[in-house]
Amino acid sequence: MMQLQELLVNALRQGSVPQHVAFVMDGNRRFARSNHIETVEGHNMGFEALAKALCYKAGVKVVTIYAFSIENFKRPLHEVNALMEIAKIKLSQLCQHGELMDRYGASLRILGHRSLLRQDVLEAIEQATEMTKHNDKAILNVCFPYTSRDEMTTAIRDITATPGLMDIESITEKTITQHMFTSDCPPLDLLVRTSGVERLSDFMMWQCHQDTDIVFSDCLWPQFDIWKFLPILINWGVKRRKLEKGRGDVEVRGVGMGMGVGKGGGY
Amino acid sequence: MANASPPPPYSSSSSSAYPLRPLKSALRSRQQRPPEVLERERILLARLQTVDQPREKPIRDFLATRFYKFVLLIIHLLFSIYLKFRWAYHNILNRGLSILYYHHRTPQLIQKDVKELEERGKLPEHVSVVLEYERGGLDTLIDEVSEISCWCASAGIKTLSVYEQTGILKSYISTSHRSISQRLHSYFGKSRPSIRVHAPPLSSLHEPGEEGREVDLEVILISEEDGRESLVDLTKTLCDMAQRGKISSEDVSVELIDAEVTENTISEPDLLILFSPSVVLRGYPPWQIRLTEIFHVQDNSGVGYQVFLRALHRFAKTEMRFGR
Repeated sequence: MMQLQELLVNALRQGSVPQHVAFVMDGNRRFARSNHIETVEGHNMGFEALAKALCYKAGVKVVTIYAFSIENFKRPLHEVNALMEIAKIKLSQLCQHGELMDRYGASLRILGHRSLLRQDVLEAIEQATEMTKHNDKAILNVCFPYTSRDEMTTAIRDITATPGLMDIESITEKTITQHMFTSDCPPLDLLVRTSGVERLSDFMMWQCHQDTDIVFSDCLWPQFDIWKFLPILINWGVKRRKLEKGRGDVEVRGVGMGMGVGKGGGY
Repeated sequence: MANASPPPPYSSSSSSAYPLRPLKSALRSRQQRPPEVLERERILLARLQTVDQPREKPIRDFLATRFYKFVLLIIHLLFSIYLKFRWAYHNILNRGLSILYYHHRTPQLIQKDVKELEERGKLPEHVSVVLEYERGGLDTLIDEVSEISCWCASAGIKTLSVYEQTGILKSYISTSHRSISQRLHSYFGKSRPSIRVHAPPLSSLHEPGEEGREVDLEVILISEEDGRESLVDLTKTLCDMAQRGKISSEDVSVELIDAEVTENTISEPDLLILFSPSVVLRGYPPWQIRLTEIFHVQDNSGVGYQVFLRALHRFAKTEMRFGR
């Protein structure tokens, strides 16, 4: 099974692979309820599943996950606190030397309205980002606590607050994009939301509303594994290939066996 | 004890296969070490191997690449075949549904179809659709707008916003208005619902004196420029005001932007219906799609009443939960 997985992942690497994938990890609570486990534990398994689905192996450069929404602060206090505790534990686990992050050369970034967080959580974040800072092959963005409207507002506020900005006419879409939390990431290619909810729920709206493929999967996040994710990746590759053919981009086609697959991420 | 320990298993496993590079052999010769040092070495070696492999065996690597490319080709081939079958299946299904559910240009039939939803109080107030100019040109586009407007009017939906990327509809507001009116006439006869058709910035087109009057259906035509561009314009305005000291940057809040955006373009739709085979938003206003239910029918392409109806039903089933 593992060998087959390895083979498929290696094969996929040869074609075009989305450079930036975002996940809304939905369905933890429902999974917990239907399997009669504590909600907090359900969240825990969600994190495990995420580790499984980490797709850097397939050549994805940036993974962005929606861990905690600003709206989530409206949940019962004990649940919020429990989530914070889990986050602290997971942050330290994720960044231990030789662990997941180092293995794929991924650096951790926390995106969002951090001032809403408790001091001890902030310290854990600081430590975790510091420990993975040297990794430059891939990025794991954790949105915590985040909403897209808050992000856009922050971007606009930052632009208005820029001192010495004289030429107002020079402000363009690009200016705003550069002030987003994801400014140095490649454009979002794929957004996956699990548990059959067909809404963005205030996530990555600025980044995903143009060419991004948005996929709503019916499966709950704790059950979302590589076998659920591979068909989505393959589908994306097939679509991208068709698009390339349509555009008649001859020069980026792979040389071997007459395949019209762009090399690496370029298309 | 440490000195007497047998050589760890790793040293024998890989040393025979390939000639060792000097650094590696140096590392290997120092075997009598405490376990933690050995562990260190093991990690180091593992790294070395992965780093050096490509340079060591170019031919093998080349063949592997070829092999993986071939596997990928097979995967794509199989997947394409699967997609073809799925497409065929969905199309038969959609055909069947569109025969089963047809409106026959009769508002009563549409009302019957949505009656259950209305009773449950789960009818969206603001529906948004994405149409494509490339699919059939301007005439088709206006025709589609007219049809969808009639469905909305029949179902009792108050607001319909029509997104079309290029914005060509905005130059044909009066034509669209006329076309919708005619279509409504063919649906409802003499007692047809009142409509208002306009496009942001909200310069509405209708008979004078109708301003602000309650209408049965409001149709708003929007395009890509009501998305990012309107936010850019807002940023410019805010910058200008900040520079002239009218506001401070601290005043820029989600509420302020939301109020401005809603005023100048559209409010947040309850339901967004895509008639495309997959979910791609094509530049739809980003600020407004926060909690909007996004509906599409897999492999469907083209405007159809059954898609519209299924979207309404899907909408009625979902429970709205704020904060996921």
